[in-house]
Formats: sequence, C-alpha cells, structure tokens
Amino acid sequence: METPLYAIRSLTHVYRGKPVLSIDRLELPRGGIIGVIGPNGSGKSTFLRLAGFVERPTAGVVLFDGKPAGPFAPEVRNRVTLLPQEPFLMKRTVLNNVAFGLRIRKANDHLAERVDKALSYVGLDGKDFAQRPSYALSGGEAQRVALAARLILKPEVLLLDEPTASIDALSAQLIKDAALKARRDWGTTLIVASHDWQWLYGICDTVFHLLRGRFLGTGRENVLFGPWEPMENGLWGKPLADGQRLLVPKPPDTLAAAVIENVTILPHSEPISGVEGGQIALSGMITRLALEKASGSIVVSVLVANIPFTGTLTERQVCDHSLYPGRMVAIRYLIDSVKWV
Amino acid sequence: MDFLLQGLLKAIELLTTNDPETFSAVYSTLVVSAYSLAATLIMGLPLGFCLGYFEFSIKKQVRVVVDTLLSLPTVFIGLVVFAFFTNRGPMGEWGLLFTLPGIAVGLTILALPIVVALSATAVESMDRQLRVTLISLGANRQQLFLSTLWEARHGIIAAALTAYGRVMTEVGIAMMVGGNIKWQTRTITTAIALETNKGEFAMGIALGLVLLLIAFGVNLSVSFLRKRY
Repeated sequence: METPLYAIRSLTHVYRGKPVLSIDRLELPRGGIIGVIGPNGSGKSTFLRLAGFVERPTAGVVLFDGKPAGPFAPEVRNRVTLLPQEPFLMKRTVLNNVAFGLRIRKANDHLAERVDKALSYVGLDGKDFAQRPSYALSGGEAQRVALAARLILKPEVLLLDEPTASIDALSAQLIKDAALKARRDWGTTLIVASHDWQWLYGICDTVFHLLRGRFLGTGRENVLFGPWEPMENGLWGKPLADGQRLLVPKPPDTLAAAVIENVTILPHSEPISGVEGGQIALSGMITRLALEKASGSIVVSVLVANIPFTGTLTERQVCDHSLYPGRMVAIRYLIDSVKWV
Repeated sequence: MDFLLQGLLKAIELLTTNDPETFSAVYSTLVVSAYSLAATLIMGLPLGFCLGYFEFSIKKQVRVVVDTLLSLPTVFIGLVVFAFFTNRGPMGEWGLLFTLPGIAVGLTILALPIVVALSATAVESMDRQLRVTLISLGANRQQLFLSTLWEARHGIIAAALTAYGRVMTEVGIAMMVGGNIKWQTRTITTAIALETNKGEFAMGIALGLVLLLIAFGVNLSVSFLRKRY
C-alpha cells in the first residue's frame, strides 16, 4: 500500500488561546488535486500553513511521505511550497523575486532564461517585467510573479491559499491555468483552498469541507448557521426572508451550525414548503450547475431565500427535468439527517 | 554675525591648508566613530533582530528597558566608563583611559540602544508574509535571518545613520574618557568645546562646519546606495 503524501494525526492548533484547527486523522494521497472549501475563519489558511510546513502545530504530528516534518526540515524544504492568499513580493526586482528560490539552492545556471520561462507560465513577458521593481506591479501581477517564483522550483507539492481572491479576472484565470500546468507537466500535487467551489469541483479529485477548524467530509455538505428558535412540533428553525421556515431538530445551543449532507432536488413549478413524513421541503431557485470531475455528477446550487443549498444529480436527471439556472425547484432533506457542529 | 562668516572662511582655510591640528581632530573623530559604529552594529543588529522578530514572554519589558536606555545621559555614561577605566577601577589595567579605544567603548554604550531599538522596530514592521514567503521558497534559518535583514535594510540603515550621527556629535563621553589631549584624543567636538571656551568662535564654527561636511558626505553615500539597492 502506497504511503500517503500527508498523514495527520491528532493535530490541534491554537492561536491566542483559541483552538483554530482540530484534525484527528487525515490522509492525503500524492499526485492529485485536493480542494479545501469552507467559510471565512474555518481554518483553511491555518491548515495550508501547517501542510506547507511554515508553522508547527500546537499539538499532533504532520507526516510527509511517512516521516514527521516541520519548518526548515530538509525533507520538505525543497519539495513543498505555499502561495499565500495576499500577494507579497520582496523589495527587489521581479527577476530577483522569481530567482530567489533557485539562488538559495545555489542553482544559478541559466537563471535569466529560467525566470523568463517561469514568468511565461503566468502570462508575463520576461523582457517587459524582469527588471520591474516589486512596488511597480498591480495586485494581480504581483500574485502571478509570486506563483512564478514557486513554479520555477518545480515543487512536488504546491499549496494555494485562495489563489484568485482579490485579483482581477485575467490574473485569476492565468493563475488557475499555471497551477494545472504544474500538475500536468511535473506531476505536482496541488492542494487548493478556495471559495470558488465551481472551479474546485471542476478540477479536484477530492474536496474537503472545513468548518470551525474541523474537516466535515467531501465538501458537498450544506452548512446552516443559527441563531435557532423553537418552532412547532418540537422542531427548531429560523424564519427566512421569503416567508419560508428552515426547520431543524433541537440544537445543542442556539448558535450551533447544522450540517445537512444529502439534499434531494426536484423540479417544482409551484412554491412548496413544510414538513411531510420526516422530510422538510423548501422552494428555491437554481443558481449554478457545475460538473464534478471526480464523480461525473452535476453539482446543483439552489438559493432558498438567501441561503445556498448544494446537491448532486446525474446528467440524465438534469436533462430529463430540464434544469437550468433560474428554474424553480424543491429541495428536501430528512430531519434526522441534520447533524450539529 | 561676522564670526559666522569668519568661521566659514576659517573652515575653508583649515581644510585647504591641511592644518595638522584640524586633521588630527578629524582623524580621531573618524577612528572613534568607526570603532564604535562597527562594535554597535555587530552587537546591536542581531540583538535588535531577535527583539523585533521573536515572541517571548518578557518581550514588552525588554523593549521598555531598551527604550529607556535611549535616554541615558552622555555624561553619566562618561562617568561610569571613566570609573571603570581609571587606575582604581576594575578595568584600570587595560590602559584604556584617555585613549581613542576608550572613547569608542563609551560611544558604543551610547549607540547600542539606538541600533537595537530602531532595528527592532524595522524588523517588527516587516510584513508577516515575508517569513511565510521565505520558508515557502526553501530558506533555512540562516537564509531567513539574512533575507529578513536585507528586506529591513532601509530601516536598519536609518538606525545605523542615527547611531552614527549620535556618536559623531557626542562631547561628554569624549571629554571625560578621552581627556581632550591634543594630537591624541582631541576630537572635533571636544576641540569645538575647547575653542569656544577660549573665545575662538570662528575656529569653533569652522570645526563644526567640518563635522557637518563629514556627515553630509556619509549621508550622500548612503543615499546613493539606497537608490541603487
């Protein structure tokens, strides 16, 4: 059995006295594209910093290729690299930023040519950009140069923290393409944290959902936040902006987050809501359809009032029911399938 | 106002005629400031880096102490150094009293808190992403330290220039520890004090202008280096 690329055991990370990440057991395979999805503050950046060996966890161990590793460890230093969310370059020219990793490895052969090539991966012309000082770049250009500085190293693992946040659409697309090129050309394992679930589902072999520092599962869970109030028949819930009511079992506390894994989506032209046979039904509108690479299913996003729900359908079901963005549908879930986090 | 003009003319005369007393004072000034700045940077930069970079439990208290030492009176430093180097002092055998190295010791004590405090501030104000970037690109601990220093270079140069300005223009320590001995330990600042006491204002101004010229030359060189790097 192949050793997993990452094996995480009993990991806890605390920041200023607050636990921000707690992973009992997690294994990540090599050679794939792994997505991490979750709301702001869920611990995605912390997870990437620990997996990138930029920080050491407060407790627990991160095994890389079967061996415990931490910051500055020789077995990871030249193999794993992290691109943080905010574009950051050192106070030097683009060339010196991109060449930095090679220089500290004393790999100084054909430096200018290699820098040019790395810049071309991210859509930048070396002749035009190489001598520019870092402060003369836009946010998107800076993030592209930062990615080029990592791609030039041909890393075994490339971790990307919200690589397309806060930059222009063109830069975002170029960054996505460059990351996938690394995967194709060098077999780099990509671990990507992003809000862009449509992109993640389209490229990832596995997607994990992170919430409040814990991994929930495959990323298709629906997470619903409180505050909750008592409703009829022993159920709890909250009123929605369109008059419907979101119903759940009694929560452990009024601010607990509810997780619903399996949501059924059915076409329904008339509004429908209520409780029937242990199932909760709500009306909503399809906002997105995306192909999930790993399973070939269609991931359907439905907006109920202002709350997004996600479910999956087969391609045949989507065609048979003529589902498209803007179509009104009904979503159903079993009251017993609601879990609390 | 005449003596100001006379001072300017006297400065030009002293420099162009290679006045030996003037050049002796300039030499002494350059030697003590070079020694003390070198010692200060060698000790102060790593200390300042550690103070600015690392988190530890008594960091705030150490910072308060360092900032307080910025206000050490120069005559107090001179007094303490004098007491240590005098024959009856614990380091009397070293023979440093009334010597240029002795003055340099006193000036180092004066300049060290400046370099530590200002370089700590320069390192603290670095973007936290620098560490993430450097480690992500494969830097080891030594490379992390040197690269962080390089990124903070403008702040560190400012710290060094501030310290240099302080030691170049210092009088109390040079007077007490050096003794203002002609041809031996007379610096520009002690010479200015002496000439002013003698009523030779023009000479004092001339020496002051020489000091300004040196400071200007140093700052111009640093400015050129900053633009280049």
